[in-house]
Amino acid sequence: MATIEVQRQILPILGSPNQGARFYNPELPSSEPFVPGHRTCAGCGPSIQYRMTSKAAGDNTILVGPTGCMYVANSSYLCTPYNVPWAHTQIGSAGSFTAGVAAAYEAMIRKGKWKGEFPNIICEAGDGSASDIGLASISGALYRNHDCLIICYDNEQYANTGIQASSRTPYGGMTTFSPPGPLVPEGKKLFPKDLARMMAAGHPHCYVATASVGYPIDLMNKVRKGLNHKGAAYLMVYTPCQKGFVYETPRSIDLGRLVVECGLYPMWEWNPEKRAYDYSFRPASMRPVSEYLKLQGRFGHLHAEHIASLQKFANEQWRMLGVQLPEALIQAADAKNLVNMASAAQAEAVAQTI
Amino acid sequence: MSTKGTRIPDWLTVPFAGITPAPSQEKGQDLFPTGNWRSIRPVYRDKLPPCNNACGTNEKIQGYLDLVKRGKYLDAYALIKEDMPFPSVTGRVCYHPCEQACNRGQYDEAISIRAVERFLGDLGQALTHDVVKAGKPNGKKVAVVGSGPAGHSAAYQLARLGYKVTILEKSPKAGGLNRGGIPDWVLPQDVLDREIERLVELGITIKTNCEVGKDVSWDELKKNYDACVLAVGLTEPNSVRAEGENKAGVLYGLPFLRDIGMGTSKVKLGPRVAVIGGGNTAIDCAREALRQGAVEVTMITVEANPKEMPAVPEDLHDMVEEGVDLMHGRAVTAVLGNGKVEALQLHPARFSGAINASPITVDKDAPAQRFAVDNVIIAVGQHASLAWLPAEFKNERGTIKIDRFGRLGDTKFFAAGDIVQLGSGQPLMVVNAVGDGKRVAFNLDKVLRGEALQPRTIPIDVIVDLNRMNMTYFPHFPRVQQTLLPPVSRRRTQDEVIQALTEEQAVEEASRCFSCGTCNACDNCYLVCPEPCIARPERSNGLYKILVDYCKGCRVCIEECPTGCLEGVPELDFDTGVVRMDTAFAISPGLHGRQAEELRKLGDRPAKNI
Ligand SMILES: Cc1cc2nc3c(=O)[nH]c(=O)nc-3n(C[C@H](O)[C@H](O)[C@H](O)COP(=O)(O)OP(=O)(O)OC[C@H]3O[C@@H](n4cnc5c(N)ncnc54)[C@H](O)[C@@H]3O)c2cc1C
Ligand SMILES: Cc1ncc(C[n+]2csc(CCOP(=O)(O)OP(=O)(O)O)c2C)c(N)n1
Ligand code: SF4
Ligand code: SF4
Ligand code: SF4
Ligand code: SF4
Ligand SMILES: [Mg+2]
Repeated sequence: MATIEVQRQILPILGSPNQGARFYNPELPSSEPFVPGHRTCAGCGPSIQYRMTSKAAGDNTILVGPTGCMYVANSSYLCTPYNVPWAHTQIGSAGSFTAGVAAAYEAMIRKGKWKGEFPNIICEAGDGSASDIGLASISGALYRNHDCLIICYDNEQYANTGIQASSRTPYGGMTTFSPPGPLVPEGKKLFPKDLARMMAAGHPHCYVATASVGYPIDLMNKVRKGLNHKGAAYLMVYTPCQKGFVYETPRSIDLGRLVVECGLYPMWEWNPEKRAYDYSFRPASMRPVSEYLKLQGRFGHLHAEHIASLQKFANEQWRMLGVQLPEALIQAADAKNLVNMASAAQAEAVAQTI
Repeated sequence: MSTKGTRIPDWLTVPFAGITPAPSQEKGQDLFPTGNWRSIRPVYRDKLPPCNNACGTNEKIQGYLDLVKRGKYLDAYALIKEDMPFPSVTGRVCYHPCEQACNRGQYDEAISIRAVERFLGDLGQALTHDVVKAGKPNGKKVAVVGSGPAGHSAAYQLARLGYKVTILEKSPKAGGLNRGGIPDWVLPQDVLDREIERLVELGITIKTNCEVGKDVSWDELKKNYDACVLAVGLTEPNSVRAEGENKAGVLYGLPFLRDIGMGTSKVKLGPRVAVIGGGNTAIDCAREALRQGAVEVTMITVEANPKEMPAVPEDLHDMVEEGVDLMHGRAVTAVLGNGKVEALQLHPARFSGAINASPITVDKDAPAQRFAVDNVIIAVGQHASLAWLPAEFKNERGTIKIDRFGRLGDTKFFAAGDIVQLGSGQPLMVVNAVGDGKRVAFNLDKVLRGEALQPRTIPIDVIVDLNRMNMTYFPHFPRVQQTLLPPVSRRRTQDEVIQALTEEQAVEEASRCFSCGTCNACDNCYLVCPEPCIARPERSNGLYKILVDYCKGCRVCIEECPTGCLEGVPELDFDTGVVRMDTAFAISPGLHGRQAEELRKLGDRPAKNI
């Protein structure tokens, strides 16, 4: 049997806009696979992520949307904002459905029924789907190395059903399932599941990376790297949800930067060829976690000891990235130094350039 | 098989309640005009960058820096030429009020605007044909008296408007203080010559050695021209009213420099020279004195320290570097010597702050100091020579009396430049003279065409507050420095001290510009909108559109706009009885479209602080 050459789309990597002194985004493709008229909340972080991801992927793309805000709010009344083929799948079957689409195209190409370039197959799963309900199916798709990109748009909760805690909800985050009270003053007691590392460790042949809407070009490049990678790729993207995090809508991108600058969302890439983490990403500055926390109502109940715990967590992440910690951040990890939120303000004065 | 477009069965493509056609790139999802969720609307509103505002002729600085950073040098040159006839000159001599106002100065270091301007000016000088053309002849004749910056600018703008312009200049060469004031090592004569050639290329006639009041009378001006611009500058030096000021060896700054500039100087300086005065002219005199052979040059000022001197700090620094000494807090009370100056008598002095009487208080009781010199150059300002002007048009400051349009009463005469700006609170400098000449030219045109004159008080929103911009997008970056000739090699030559930027340096420096308050098409709003409902058919300022049918008013775009040209405007007052839900489920897209048209007008409302 004659072998059939699979034509692949190789998407160019965008130049960084902040090289040099100017700010000017690179030329982006003109087509809009994601259009307005959807019913997500104003300022919705997952939607921003959707916009950037689909812009980076282009028109020859197939989207899979397991249940979650990006399905429900986007596609009621049989009406979707997707200008490319899109399908909803049950929340637990994100990985199996996506694997099926990829396998179908592989088969169609093999049988000569599909001519043209292999489409970008992207699954957009919420953290509830990716980290809890659909974890097994996603792990299966990654392990079998289907040629697809699975994105977890991480809004750190089950948003669509009215803000319940997921395994990605941060320590101290208030949700309807983790309300603070006299017995559990911090709200959520557990630290979040380190999902992206699980994926990298468990499926080392996959391209795995973390990203944030606060760094659009970096995010779009990681999407393209994931799509260019032959085989399965996994991306976890920080996407703030104004409804669940309780913040003012204009801050969506700002939070995406702050969460990285505060060390709560380490940015890295897993290189499947070298089987190694790439920790070279550096935000412009380092800040105490309180700067990130104070913008959000879901952390409004925290006491000094909880903030210190979160700082300790952030400091561990910085150490893991190989960044030298400034004294002020080490101090801020001790509750004694943060008697109340007011003294946290002192630590804020230490915005540090790396 | 197409991979484009959601496949919808035929029977579902008809719009009816609850079911909508496939979304399209152009229109989005018609059935859900989510714009009616919005209470604040983002609007694009360019603001005036502080640099443009501070520039005496309001050059579109942000605009040409933006073009330079994209390599569109010729466009940039054409843009600067709208307001500035000779960027090659101001790129060298301007005291750059724009750089003092530059927002980047609050962040790290101001943009080196003047250096980029010079880069563009030199580029223009090299062109065989200038980009600027004379306007279609309108058959009207205008005389411009004086060929300094103000006259040059007025003549240039009038020629562009189609007037037949004649410049009358009393000196043997055109240029005003650009030639007979500003020294060659700041502005080489050939640069100025080339700019004056450009005026001739525009069809302007320049008559040198032609003095109004001597060669041409006031009545002849009135008779022979449809209108006239008086840009005669301040040609007479002030004296210090010291005893013995008429002795040989006493020079005045203005004629000293003027004669050198015109090539008619016969001055031979002795080894020790004192310069009286603390302003820019005094600095030029002191530095020129070194180049004319003086060995020790001392500048004597009433100001108590360098900070108080009304001088450009860089020039002061360069002067001290060249070896000029400073002596502060002294006034010359007498010039001593037998027929020829041998020494100065100095007394302690300070500024009293008095406005009317002499502003300088001299402590005559203190012991006098004798300061031996061979020459003294007095550079304490200049005044006008207006004997030829009818008295009704003179004012108590000894300058020309004008209305707020620059016009002399009800006549067709206008005046511009130093001759009206002296004592008006405006600093006397080339760029202010250029701006004045430009504005007066436009008003002259209005008068001759019988149009109403507009006072120049348009309300402007100058963006000076960095909080209105998003600084996270601008990494710190040092200013590109122009190289200077080493001080030792400067002392005896007329070579230009400050060197030009290379092309790469000019682009690098222009790239540092924040583009304050003016969209530079960075695409950020376009990229971060969650809907996304920001469209741009073409990537250019002024072409970004917010699809108000869909914008939910999240204001992410406003927050993330690096340049601060997006702002929020309150959409509707809920107490005015406007029913918003009537369009919530508009089955046809028209309904919302009509409302949107109404809402568009809300953009005229003042911005609310959000
Ligand atoms: C020594 C010196 C150095 C300076 N350096 C700088 C600098 O580096 N940067 C800067 O921004 N500014 C500088 N200035 C200030 C600047 O030169 C003036 O503000 C500017 O030149 C004023 O332009 P103007 O056209 O009004 O007058 P002028 O430049 O003075 O031009 C007036 C012209 O009118 C002519 N004129 C006068 N009377 C008659 C008449 N009756 N008939 C015909 N012609 C007549 C004069 O001969 C002259 O050519 C300097 C000033 C001096 C004195
Ligand atoms: C098996 C199953 N359990 C529960 C639900 C209810 N449900 C619908 S959306 C949703 C939230 C999904 O959360 P996430 O994946 O994080 O997406 P988000 O809503 O946060 O975007 C849940 C729990 C479901 N649809 N299917
Ligand atoms: S609830 Fe959160 S994730 Fe869902 S649409 Fe609203 S902002 Fe987006
Ligand atoms: S940064 Fe640019 S636009 Fe802003 S004031 Fe400076 S030169 Fe003007
Ligand atoms: S974000 Fe950029 S493109 Fe958008 S308005 Fe501001 S400057 Fe213009
Ligand atoms: S980001 Fe989009 S939806 Fe939000 S205010 Fe701006 S234009 Fe409107
Ligand atoms: Mg979620």
